[in-house]
Amino acid sequence: MPDFDAEPETPLQQLIRHWMNERHAPDILPWQGEVLDGLLNHINRQSTTVNLLRGDPDSSEDEHFRIVLAQTEIERVKFVVRSYIRTRLYKIEKYARYVARTPQIQERLSQAELQHAQTFAKLTEDHFSVSVLQALPEHQRSLEDASPFTPPMITEPDKSRAVFVHALNDCPAVRLPDGTTLEIKKGYIVLTPYAVVEELLAFGSVELV
Amino acid sequence: MSTPDSRQFGDLATQLVQESRRSTLTDTLLKYNDSLVRTVLREQRALEALITDAIAASPDQATFAPSLLLHQTALLRNKRCLLAYHAHRLDRLKDLYWTLGGALPALLSDAALRSRLAPAEVDFLRAYNTSLLELRGAFSAELDITAGITTPPRDLHVLVRVVRECGVVQTELGAIDFRRGQRFMVRRADVEHLIVQGYLDEV
Repeated sequence: MPDFDAEPETPLQQLIRHWMNERHAPDILPWQGEVLDGLLNHINRQSTTVNLLRGDPDSSEDEHFRIVLAQTEIERVKFVVRSYIRTRLYKIEKYARYVARTPQIQERLSQAELQHAQTFAKLTEDHFSVSVLQALPEHQRSLEDASPFTPPMITEPDKSRAVFVHALNDCPAVRLPDGTTLEIKKGYIVLTPYAVVEELLAFGSVELV
Repeated sequence: MSTPDSRQFGDLATQLVQESRRSTLTDTLLKYNDSLVRTVLREQRALEALITDAIAASPDQATFAPSLLLHQTALLRNKRCLLAYHAHRLDRLKDLYWTLGGALPALLSDAALRSRLAPAEVDFLRAYNTSLLELRGAFSAELDITAGITTPPRDLHVLVRVVRECGVVQTELGAIDFRRGQRFMVRRADVEHLIVQGYLDEV
């Protein structure tokens, strides 16, 4: 966990951190179900309170002002949640056929996401089949050709993509692709391939910016 | 344009890919090029026949005519081009779907757009929509995941002008009958989807 001296992160701060990580990482990160459920429940309770107060004729001017603030904040939290879900959805669809074949990555998805990934992978395969492959001779219909000099037919996340990393606390040394090691001190920002910091990110020692 | 005689294997498939490229550059969805796809598919079968003949013609199955490699390469390349063309179109369709906030009926009732789609693509969109509805259902109590994510909300309320009539809509202020030309100050969350679909215009 990040820094023990500082104030603990609020659920919203956690969500924003995960949202930023998700937006910057080339790979699909683990689904933050707990953080999200907590926040959504909180939003629900708050909406109910707001509605009660709004309906109450005894609410003071001051309270009405606070209501508007609360409502605006709810909308802004919803925006982040939505963006988080949509970012994941984009990646899930992009790598759907990879997800459908890789159990390790499936563990990082929520139940609904996994369902959608599998449906989507099948949908695209069916579409290719109907539009192209059916008309080809039998042995050309595979969607898993591995011929030299052509990119693979199943798109995988490119973990060598460069990302900006902000260290939340002192990190153990990591090995760079050229064999040297890199030690990131707390507060430093470095640019490295995603694969190098993948584990630090999973551990929560760094965040992507 | 090259004449059929001087045409090389793969020229047609290149045209398909160029069409995808043009579509990206102009940010439009071009009409599904059925005839070109068919022609490439025919070329595929012609190549297949050439390869089969070449294999049959080599008696010991060890020394093949050099042209075999050429044909094989062309064959694989054509296939990838065909798939790339279709995959690119699916991506564009998905983009369209999301810019309309996931309103499939609105998308499919657009006659100009509909005429540019292949029947299989309409099927794809329908199935895609069904799968997404399930995903949306998981969050429906709290929020609509199809709403816009380009700009974070600044104000709670928004002043809108009605561009197209969309009938009576339930809002925080009660039911509002949106008539063309009228202006309303409403809660953004209540009418977000109508703005995205082009019924209302932000003033």
